[in-house]
Amino acid sequence: MTASGHTLNLGGRTVPIGPRAAGAAVAREVRSMPFGLRLWIGGLLAVLAIASVAALLSLPPGWEVFGTSPSFEWGLMIVAYVFFAIMTSGLCLASSLGTVFGIERFRPFEKRHAILAVLSLSTAFLIIALDLHYPIRMVFGAVLVPSPTSPMWWMGVFYGGYLVVLLVEVWSMFSDHPRIHQWACTLAACIAILAPFTLGAVFGVLAAKPYWFGIFTPIQMVASAFLAGTALLGIVFYAVHRLRLADHERSASIALPSVRLLLAVGLVIVSALAIRQVVAGLTGTVPGHREATIALVSGPLALQFWGVRVIAGLVAPALLLLMPMTRNPAGTLAASILVLVGVFADRYGFVMAGQIFPTTTAAGTVSYPYASYEPTLVEISLFLGGLALLALVYTLAERYLDMGETDVHVGINWPWIRRHDAAKDPAHDHDVPAAGSPAPDITGTSPAPVDVAAIGLGAES
Amino acid sequence: MNEQLDGEAPTAPADPTAPADPAPADLDDAPAEAPDPAYLVPLEELAPAISVVSKSRRAFLGFGLAVTGGLIGAAVLARFVPVFAEELDPASPIVPTYDPASKQWTFVVDTAACIGCGLCVVACKEENDVVEAPVCTRTWVERHTTTTDGTLYVDSPDGGIDGFPAESTAPGAAGKPVEASHFQPRLCMQCADSPCTSVCPVGATYHTEDGVILVDARRCIGCGYCIVACPYGARYIVPAEAGAESETTPGIADKCTWCYHRINQGQLPACVEICPVGARKFGDAADETSEIAQIVREQNPQQLHPEYGTNPRVLYLGPSIEEA
Repeated sequence: MTASGHTLNLGGRTVPIGPRAAGAAVAREVRSMPFGLRLWIGGLLAVLAIASVAALLSLPPGWEVFGTSPSFEWGLMIVAYVFFAIMTSGLCLASSLGTVFGIERFRPFEKRHAILAVLSLSTAFLIIALDLHYPIRMVFGAVLVPSPTSPMWWMGVFYGGYLVVLLVEVWSMFSDHPRIHQWACTLAACIAILAPFTLGAVFGVLAAKPYWFGIFTPIQMVASAFLAGTALLGIVFYAVHRLRLADHERSASIALPSVRLLLAVGLVIVSALAIRQVVAGLTGTVPGHREATIALVSGPLALQFWGVRVIAGLVAPALLLLMPMTRNPAGTLAASILVLVGVFADRYGFVMAGQIFPTTTAAGTVSYPYASYEPTLVEISLFLGGLALLALVYTLAERYLDMGETDVHVGINWPWIRRHDAAKDPAHDHDVPAAGSPAPDITGTSPAPVDVAAIGLGAES
Repeated sequence: MNEQLDGEAPTAPADPTAPADPAPADLDDAPAEAPDPAYLVPLEELAPAISVVSKSRRAFLGFGLAVTGGLIGAAVLARFVPVFAEELDPASPIVPTYDPASKQWTFVVDTAACIGCGLCVVACKEENDVVEAPVCTRTWVERHTTTTDGTLYVDSPDGGIDGFPAESTAPGAAGKPVEASHFQPRLCMQCADSPCTSVCPVGATYHTEDGVILVDARRCIGCGYCIVACPYGARYIVPAEAGAESETTPGIADKCTWCYHRINQGQLPACVEICPVGARKFGDAADETSEIAQIVREQNPQQLHPEYGTNPRVLYLGPSIEEA
């Protein structure tokens, strides 16, 4: 990157930085965009404008714009943070099958998942920064005075480290540093499990909130993460396929069928955990546990639980994935959207149910029979703003970055894997598919053929 | 994937990229008398791989050591940063003439004596500059009413600051004949095994040497974790208007401190001092001759909800214990 006069040389492209020239260049660029794209970006900018006003209102000391109270201390902002944070982990969990374990059919996720993960985690941090009253203190306090007894501190460690690793992953991917990239991917996949598990522990250690308390809370968090990340990949790869973006051939032939497979696995796991949660709750003996579960399944949260989480979020996408007539890109898109909405409803219901049945008065406030919380317009705008920010920056990344598959991976020399030396063994060269070659399977009904040589190792370094 | 692995492995026995640890099915399929030559690799061929492996293992160990070193370094650094306000700190709640280590402060609430007048709530708000909003109160009084049908109703209009009307204000309680009723003053329990201090991500809430839990207003980030962690509902976030009304820092967690600024100067907490019926008792249980030591010895006050496992230091006498 070099700067000279009023221009900036950025990766071979000359970018004007003088105000007039830059304005003219932006205007030219906007004019060159198709109408649909302009409409999409315009819509996202409008949502972001509203969210910016909301963000200004919520800056200290504007906390009264949130609907929380001592008896309902965590509201939509925490739900939004959890949603974006676990989505980040889910993206890495789904893509690690390709990036770390070298399974060929998950390879198309490589570049896009990394960009999405960075954006999703940044959005999560932005939202939590707006929710915290003194976010700067958080950074200094957590670094200078480690509090290893606090799950929230560990969550900060893992998610903070996660962002660094993801940034390294993206940088190494676009700057062609395959070994660093492989290490970054492997670390990201490890943290992708640790981070949501710790986020689950933030809730799971609280004996004061029986609905949250317990070992299954972190497990559910990881399962939700997997589902959310996979669903986001489904939406993005549908767009790649439909709009014929970079590498779209592999989107329909490999990526979308892979998303279907992972969504199906995720739906089975999450449904099983949901059944366990309801059964354990209704038969629970700890005061407050049963009452919170009743509030969820037949109380104030019942509509969103049955309507959005169960029917729209679990049953409908499962049917879309099962029925042959909807086992196509459009069906996958619908299933992905429904799953994402379902995961949000799941996490929303989780945070709400944990606090809805107070086992005590809170700072003199008696909440009977249920504590009440309604998200304010500011909170809703901030959440929608987070989605819009993610979508907008990703759209720009898709337009201006090279999202084509590069197969930058080299295998890590795991002790149990023996390396393939193509030079010594030319007989096997034909087994290794060329990078980016589409697999013949386009129906998604059977797994794409995968070469053993490619599994576990990828291309030779 | 397993299907493909299992199917492919026998047909490509010489492929050195195949996993060296095949699925059991592969082993079963292979004839026992002719072991697969792919897995018998001369040592010299493996040498470069072993060298690469040990390099990556060294790199991994190095990375692990760097992370561990960083954590230890941060922990050492933390020793030089005051974890909480210390004596030399101008904002310190600890005064030089006070020896916290010698104290064993104990708070006893007699729910048989409390008349629900609300003077303690008023005194607390005035003494500690707590904002007027009813949802922000360091201490409050509940009325526990059991009706003849066996239902328990709890009400606490505005934290009991103005006393109580004759009939319970709890939803559904109006008009029902009452079997028993008592007032239950509440405050921070100063738990010995406090969840609030262990979950605080920045160490802003801490135990003093004499067992009181305080919040360092300069460190608290206002995340609300301690509030959801407290099983006794003793904490709240100071609202934004506090900045205009009082000296309290807005946006941080706040709670009862047993009037720490008073007890370390030999005075009683404001609520104890003002209680007209002596329902709140406070003192140093380490002093065998004190009234509080005598109450603890002779009347056996109990913890409220010991099942939470937090080991509260506020003890209760009277009907509250029978109800719990």
